[in-house]
Amino acid sequence: MKTLFKTITCKVVLRVLYRALKVLVVKESRIRREFSSFKEGFTIRITLSEGGPSVFMMKKNGNLVFSMKGEDSDLDLKFKSVDSAFLVFTGMMGISRAYAEHRIVVKGDITDTMTLVRIIDIAEAYLFPHIMTRRILRSVPNKERSSLSVYRMVLLGF
Amino acid sequence: MFVPSYFEFVNSAKLLCGDYAMENIPSEMRLLGSSRPIILSDATLEKIGSVRILTDALSKGGMKASAIYTDIPLDSSIEKVNEISRVYRENNADGIIALGGGSVIDTAKGLRMLISQGGKNILSYVGSEMLGRGQSVPFAAIPTTSGTGSEATSVAVIKDGERKVKLEFISSFLLPDIAVLDVRALESMPARITALTGLDALTHAIEAYSCLQKNPISQCYALTAIKLIMENLENAVRKPKDKDARIAMAIASYIAGASFSNSMVGIVHAIGHSVGGVCSVAHGEAMTILLPICMRYNKDYADSDYSDLLLYLSNADVYASTRNEDRAEKAIDVVVSFIERIKARAPIATKLSERGVKRSDFEEIAKRALNDGALIVNPRNADKDDILKILEEAF
Repeated sequence: MKTLFKTITCKVVLRVLYRALKVLVVKESRIRREFSSFKEGFTIRITLSEGGPSVFMMKKNGNLVFSMKGEDSDLDLKFKSVDSAFLVFTGMMGISRAYAEHRIVVKGDITDTMTLVRIIDIAEAYLFPHIMTRRILRSVPNKERSSLSVYRMVLLGF
Repeated sequence: MFVPSYFEFVNSAKLLCGDYAMENIPSEMRLLGSSRPIILSDATLEKIGSVRILTDALSKGGMKASAIYTDIPLDSSIEKVNEISRVYRENNADGIIALGGGSVIDTAKGLRMLISQGGKNILSYVGSEMLGRGQSVPFAAIPTTSGTGSEATSVAVIKDGERKVKLEFISSFLLPDIAVLDVRALESMPARITALTGLDALTHAIEAYSCLQKNPISQCYALTAIKLIMENLENAVRKPKDKDARIAMAIASYIAGASFSNSMVGIVHAIGHSVGGVCSVAHGEAMTILLPICMRYNKDYADSDYSDLLLYLSNADVYASTRNEDRAEKAIDVVVSFIERIKARAPIATKLSERGVKRSDFEEIAKRALNDGALIVNPRNADKDDILKILEEAF
């Protein structure tokens, strides 16, 4: 039951994260700059745990778009357990620490991994309250716009 | 002592250390199921007779290498690993013995990865902890320098010659089955290499002690490595034939390697890798130049760790006579004076400008350092401006 709750929570947050990244790639200058280093057609997969739900993303025409499922992504991040994913997706642990603690299996180039980690760190500053981010991020990035406006665009699309 | 909420630790290699360690390799390799290993080394080691010492040791144990491959450059590449895999298969080898520095051992790790996974190109395995164990390929590593600690790490860094980038492979299945520390393999190291590799090992230990994935076991290893280095590096540089100092440094390098393989290393390595990549500065030299400056950069975030280190970097009298709030700064001062003492005995640089780095290189170095995996575990988050300031100070 507890695992089911964690899986559902992570799945929802993963979807919110994807939508937030899609918005921030356009609206956030630092994320836009980081994202520009990925080659056109670059694919990313984030998986909650072995056999668990995934989100597939792709860089297309400079934007982040939802991608069809594929066996091989350029960068594949898979949490070793849904419990580890839960820690990250509920703001209890930063993605950097999760990587450092070997909670994530990475397939792909470390340079691309570092870029994605920096992107997610900045996105977390928008998605989680300051009281959480100051605990999980080594330094909390300044926000270029309010979290409320990001959530509005993520949830309502404008 | 810091106890993290979660950590992992692996150090699975069996250590053969000391007199006639190489002579015990045949027996150990047989136990692991290998009777026809391939030997990997480099041309210099073949020329100065180190490979011969190894083959003689194998002969005494009734073992003959299926092939000896010594055409391994300073920076090994994916293409080289793929080429050696063909030699391995053509000669029907059933194990690997690597004799050399970091490049030879990393090449052997790449070869083992390729053979154990049954693949033809190791590019398919780039990443972190994605490899399964695969087919058993017994693997012994004999370091000929005391610094990289590669014989004790789960990491292999191999160049992609086509894209001109260094790729990281991380897996506990890259660890050798056997690490062999034999003074005969280390005696040929000149003073400069002894100094630089020793200071590289010191950097491993200091960063492992203070980086984000530190844990009680890796910290224990790091402290012992620091003590051994402080007590033996000067002697090893000054008296190349001092066997006690040589083997102590080999042990220090091994322990520091095991420590940082689990704790990981931080900003000194992130910037140092990039200085090496952009300006071809020797790795140990980049570490020597950057270590004190990066320690000062991290000090407020690693104050307690650096304070602990003072006892191992100096002695009980210095530690006891230094006020608690001054110990971290004192530890950095001790590192600076230690480097100066080593510099008095071997030709090493302590400024980037001494090794031909130009200010115009800083931008590219900073860009690459930001993408280095080591930066993620540094206690203080560094951005491009921070890195540029460190480079300026190191210039």
